[in-house]
Amino acid sequence: MRVLLISLAVCLSGAQRLPSASLELLPEFLRPDPFGGIVAPDRGSARAQAPLIAARGGYVSFHLVVKLPDGGPYSLDLKLTGRNLQVDVFREWFHLTRKRYFPDALIPVNLPYRSQLPEPDNQVDKQTAQAFWVDVWAPPGAAPGVVEGTATLEAAGRTQSLPLRIEILAAAVPGDDPFVIDHNSYGSSWIAEYYRNPGESDAAFFQSDRFFKLIHAHHRLFYEHRGVFHQLGYGHGGKVGPEFAPELTGSGKNKRIAGWDLYDRHYGPLLDGSAFEGSRRGRKPVPFVYLPVNPEWPASYLWWGEPGYETEFVNVVSEMERHFREKGWTQTRFELFFNHKKRYKAFEWDGDEVRFLKDNRYFLEFGRLLKKAVPSDSPVRFVFRSDSSWAMEAQFRELAGVVNFWVCGGGEFSWFDYAPKMLKDRGDIVWFYSGPPNVAEPSVAITKFPLRVWMWGIDGYIHWLTVSPGADPWFRFDGGGTALVYPGVRFGIPGPIPSVRLKLQRNAVQDLALLDSFRAGKGIDALRTEAAKRYNGSAPKDWWTPRPKLADTPAHEWSNTDIAEATDLDQRLFKKLDPSAWQNVRDYVIALAKEAR
Amino acid sequence: MKSPWLLLALAPLAAAQTVAQLDEVARVASVMVDGDVAKRIVTDRAIESIMKVDKRDPYIASDNYDVHHEPFLHTKKTLIRLSRLVDFPCDVNLWMPLPTTPPRVHIVIRNANEMSRFWQWGALHQEMFPPMKEVFEKGKRVAVADKPGWIAILAPVRDSLGDIVGLVEVVARQAPDPRENVK
Repeated sequence: MRVLLISLAVCLSGAQRLPSASLELLPEFLRPDPFGGIVAPDRGSARAQAPLIAARGGYVSFHLVVKLPDGGPYSLDLKLTGRNLQVDVFREWFHLTRKRYFPDALIPVNLPYRSQLPEPDNQVDKQTAQAFWVDVWAPPGAAPGVVEGTATLEAAGRTQSLPLRIEILAAAVPGDDPFVIDHNSYGSSWIAEYYRNPGESDAAFFQSDRFFKLIHAHHRLFYEHRGVFHQLGYGHGGKVGPEFAPELTGSGKNKRIAGWDLYDRHYGPLLDGSAFEGSRRGRKPVPFVYLPVNPEWPASYLWWGEPGYETEFVNVVSEMERHFREKGWTQTRFELFFNHKKRYKAFEWDGDEVRFLKDNRYFLEFGRLLKKAVPSDSPVRFVFRSDSSWAMEAQFRELAGVVNFWVCGGGEFSWFDYAPKMLKDRGDIVWFYSGPPNVAEPSVAITKFPLRVWMWGIDGYIHWLTVSPGADPWFRFDGGGTALVYPGVRFGIPGPIPSVRLKLQRNAVQDLALLDSFRAGKGIDALRTEAAKRYNGSAPKDWWTPRPKLADTPAHEWSNTDIAEATDLDQRLFKKLDPSAWQNVRDYVIALAKEAR
Repeated sequence: MKSPWLLLALAPLAAAQTVAQLDEVARVASVMVDGDVAKRIVTDRAIESIMKVDKRDPYIASDNYDVHHEPFLHTKKTLIRLSRLVDFPCDVNLWMPLPTTPPRVHIVIRNANEMSRFWQWGALHQEMFPPMKEVFEKGKRVAVADKPGWIAILAPVRDSLGDIVGLVEVVARQAPDPRENVK
């Protein structure tokens, strides 16, 4: 295995130094502000500089900061020579939130980039610095060695150069990650809000190729960032968006699928992988997708408990299985998943986060129906997913053999250190869920999710909402706690654009993929022990919460306050993360990669 | 807020026919929805918690919301059947008052088209709407057509004592949005 080590030396020649303008390189976890400093939550790192490392088949990233104390026009360029490295440069948008500026949205730019400070569209008063996120992609076939490069700033009629020296070592990031990072969303109305042309009707937009390409563009963006994208296609009352399900006709024994047009336009390219053709990670079917099945679809809830419900459910789901099989869509897990909650007043049981154990009986019945609908030897992979929190331990027990995909609240799950082995030994898939950190949190906060999945030895995690940056993310930003991508239309880009946090997460995942590849030689326990130690001085056992007495009382008697008081994981592990915490883990990964060579 | 018959007089023919059909559904609903069963839907625990506010636990009310399966299902099925009396997308929702001062209401059962002229998405309970107050006080059906493209008929639900214990909202849209509330 070979590793690409990229170290970027920052130096300006004396002859070229300009007191009024400068070009600076910052490690990825030190986010620049628009005035030449570092955003407050990222300050105080023990390491102001860090080696920048990526294996082949991976990225190395950094911030390049143009500083013009007097403002004015400038031009930025960056060139690397040889080794087939590919460079993506993004202008960092400074969002005003909580009276402070944070860079997050990343606008792709072409080099040389010419603009001025203050940047006209960002409207930051007295802006003196513009940050650029630089991704350097080392293709799997990149040759080891040294790459030279130069970043160049032209301002006030003079030129400054920043020499770059890239050292290549040995090893490659595995193509497959040891876990899944999922990015969730609900429905597709939000796509119209961002991308529908003025005056364009719903009917025209939602049936257009552009609409489906926008959906695929979101999948592609997350995929390129080593993630997965989910869109739930039905509401809490059971209404299904037309593009999320085949069209149905009839009732009772005559209910059947009338057409697949919108479904196939939506899902076909995702399920055969063609939506990802030409991407750096290559064509590959999505690993998971929600089914539109809910208590009101495909069977009418009017017939619940009667023969008609079973007939409608089994006939339609059987047709779906047949269609998927005939299409060869056998690499994706199709999720039977119930998102409804009784607080939304449409059904008498909670599908999501069951709290009252009486509701489990509905899961048992749907498990029976699914089993009846799908042939036991079907190559199509149906899974029964439950998002569980309050009653997860009882559900693990009561729904064993029925639910085989668990998405668990991270706090409560931390009480049950036996659960990963128990669930995985019986073949279940295990994720936990949370939400993206706000931009006002330290940038390193996004790394705690992939690391936790890997420390726990489970299969993935899900950010519950990742496409909702608020009504005006550009000038009245809510902090991005529900968004990791942004609409690009403001910049003439007909699709989503990434964020700093998404990039940081991707880089952490690729580091963990590489680290995990050493488990055969080093042993997973040793790897986890050292990674935890370097991250925050913890030990693997610290990543679990001692089982609280609360866990032995009925879940319906708990409050969120009780749970918070019984779960100190975030406080213990992540409250005082050093901004360089992830860089410390990365150093370990690189050291192992060098050893492996 | 207008009586259904005045609305009929004012509305274009197609809309008037819609109003008339919805009003007929509402009239039947007043007979068919069993107020005694409806009163048994929401658990005592949920009612005790529904107005709770806790700064440390903002979800305390909704996390404790619970219903009894059988009366809910019985009533929901009746509401679905009622909605099928017309051949266009229509929902029949059940609303009930809460024992609060000032009076508040909560939607107890919604349905598959996810339409309501009154429900604010996600709200556990809401202020008493004037048209609903009129139904509770006068026991008459009330048409609400104050939002373009929407029509709702409210009708009382009585128990075996003759008391008005809730109301049905029979609601339709001129141009239903297939993605509304798909979230």
